[in-house]
Amino acid sequence: MLRYNIRIAIKSLRRNPILTSVIIGGIALGICASTTFTTVRHMFARDPLPGKSSNLFYVRMDNWDPHAPYPTAPGGPGEAIPPQISYRDAMALMRSNMPVRQSASFIGQMTVYPDPKVGRPSSEMIRLVFSDFFPMFEVPFAYGGPWDKRADAKAEQVVVIDDDTNQKLFAGANSVGKRIRIEDREFTVSGVLKPWRPFIRMYDMNGNFVAAPEPVYMPFSLTPSMQIRSAGNSDGWKGCCNTFEEFLASDTDWVQFWVELRSPADAAQYRRFVDGYVLEEKKHGRFPRPLMNRVTSLLDLMVESGVIRPQVTAMAAISILFLAICALNLTGLLLSKFLARAPEVSVRRALGATRLDVFLQHITECELVGLAGGIIGMLLSIGVMRLIGKLITTTSVIALDSEMIMAALFLSLGAGFLAGLYPAWRICSVQPAVQLKI
Amino acid sequence: MLRMKNIKKIYRTELVETHALEDFSLNVETGEFVAIMGPSGSGKTTFLNVAGLLDVFEGGVYELDDKDVSRLTDREMSHIRNQKIGFIFQGFNLIPDLDLFDNVDVPLRYRGMPAGERKTRIERAAEMVGLSSRMHHLPSQLSGGQQQRVAIARVLAADPKLILADEPTGNLDSLMAREIMDLLDEINRRGTTIVMVTHSPECAARASREIHLFDGRVIDVDRPPALFGGALKSAK
Repeated sequence: MLRYNIRIAIKSLRRNPILTSVIIGGIALGICASTTFTTVRHMFARDPLPGKSSNLFYVRMDNWDPHAPYPTAPGGPGEAIPPQISYRDAMALMRSNMPVRQSASFIGQMTVYPDPKVGRPSSEMIRLVFSDFFPMFEVPFAYGGPWDKRADAKAEQVVVIDDDTNQKLFAGANSVGKRIRIEDREFTVSGVLKPWRPFIRMYDMNGNFVAAPEPVYMPFSLTPSMQIRSAGNSDGWKGCCNTFEEFLASDTDWVQFWVELRSPADAAQYRRFVDGYVLEEKKHGRFPRPLMNRVTSLLDLMVESGVIRPQVTAMAAISILFLAICALNLTGLLLSKFLARAPEVSVRRALGATRLDVFLQHITECELVGLAGGIIGMLLSIGVMRLIGKLITTTSVIALDSEMIMAALFLSLGAGFLAGLYPAWRICSVQPAVQLKI
Repeated sequence: MLRMKNIKKIYRTELVETHALEDFSLNVETGEFVAIMGPSGSGKTTFLNVAGLLDVFEGGVYELDDKDVSRLTDREMSHIRNQKIGFIFQGFNLIPDLDLFDNVDVPLRYRGMPAGERKTRIERAAEMVGLSSRMHHLPSQLSGGQQQRVAIARVLAADPKLILADEPTGNLDSLMAREIMDLLDEINRRGTTIVMVTHSPECAARASREIHLFDGRVIDVDRPPALFGGALKSAK
């Protein structure tokens, strides 16, 4: 019967193409808006590392001013804590053997000198990390791999470069073992990344978290010898510092610190370890504020950092409401269309159609309209999402995935059902005897 | 086939009550061809609506094919209409978007019949009404007489026990009317009971008996008197 109802519905829709276009257009508009905003929300709410994110934890310690807490952002959480930790604390935590993997990390800015034949020197953002960083965040390699632990320990001059950089400097060839000059030093390429564009820069949510990952990565342990300063945010409440060594030893917070743990139980144990470290440091006059350390999972940090903004959630909700209003507006059109068909429906009823048969026939037509509107709406939303992607980031990362396509189809069918429910109920309630002259 | 006893049907508005059928009693035996006649407002249409289970009634008993159908659910009434009753309308009432094949197919679809059997029945019915070559014509591409033959084919394909026809020749010229009456005669000869409302004495003369209505009651019946139950005597 479904195939029959679909065939009858198509005939009905073709009978009045203008009215059909208006109804489909209304649904398409609603689907475009709702799909766009729910996709934006979905993009930022989804798990960036499925199966792994629950094992990654971000470490923070409150080393702020004893007389005033770390300032909160307007509307932010009441109990604020510095979002990064100091270099000296990061290095102290690195000595723990509890985590499966761990990495301190920060972003620097340095000049890369390519072979003069292939390009001119350029200032690049370079991330300083430990070798564990790459497997922790599942960074994909095209050639080679991360440097080894020995390179971390000995501050060897090795780098990992991204695909774009490899294209620019080495024409995309396997450049492992080749050399690059950064500042006044020669570095050996240990690995080349595949094109990699996570939808958020999950390892550093302090700044623009939708920015692209950095093009070059080098060992964190080069920081003292190359006197690399952070190109990101630095927070401190005391005056600082005359020399770079003093800066490294200060309580200025500019390092992100991630650990990979086996389980939530390990996270609780690690938190106790951090607390123990801070309590020990308190004995030396550091960490003057009450004990407040955090070991936060990646997904919780995304919520805390405002990756999923309440405004985006509100917009998604409003856009679904807009779709509902579009659907309800179409109810009137469908009602007049269906009631005009009362004589035909009465004939069907006389010939044996039950009310349910009539209802299903008309709901099928509404669902076809919803589906057609949904497909057009989705195509429109792809264009709108590309536009939004260009507005909020240099590279478009907002796109429909299979989950959102299914959600949009579900919304389309829901809108069709909502628009057609009352008209279909009215037409199936028509008394055949009133319409038929028999 | 059709037994009505003391059927009462009242149409109500805020201001007035109209007794469309009042103590209406009638028996139609299996295989009969009955013509119902009467002036406008005599209750002919109401009788057909009630007989066709298209409308409910207030009082009395209605038995169709030896089954009491006085108080049925909408679903049960739809089922009986689909299985046992065929309708032939004065205005043909074909579905304009559907071609001959699909129009004849409608009652069979609601019967849930397999595609092969539906096709066989539709082709046989179209052949019986002489429209095999018009299988994919839309109603708008057919003459009035052809459209009425499609409506008859729709009934034939469904093979009901009872046909209710309302002025089946009312919109046709005399030649076409004769053709349609010939078809109804043929259907009746094969054993199908027909109840036909008509204003035409010529058409009524083709029936096995005539029943005259006035003010919602049976006021006159003709041959053969043996077929009438006692209830009808009081209605005269």
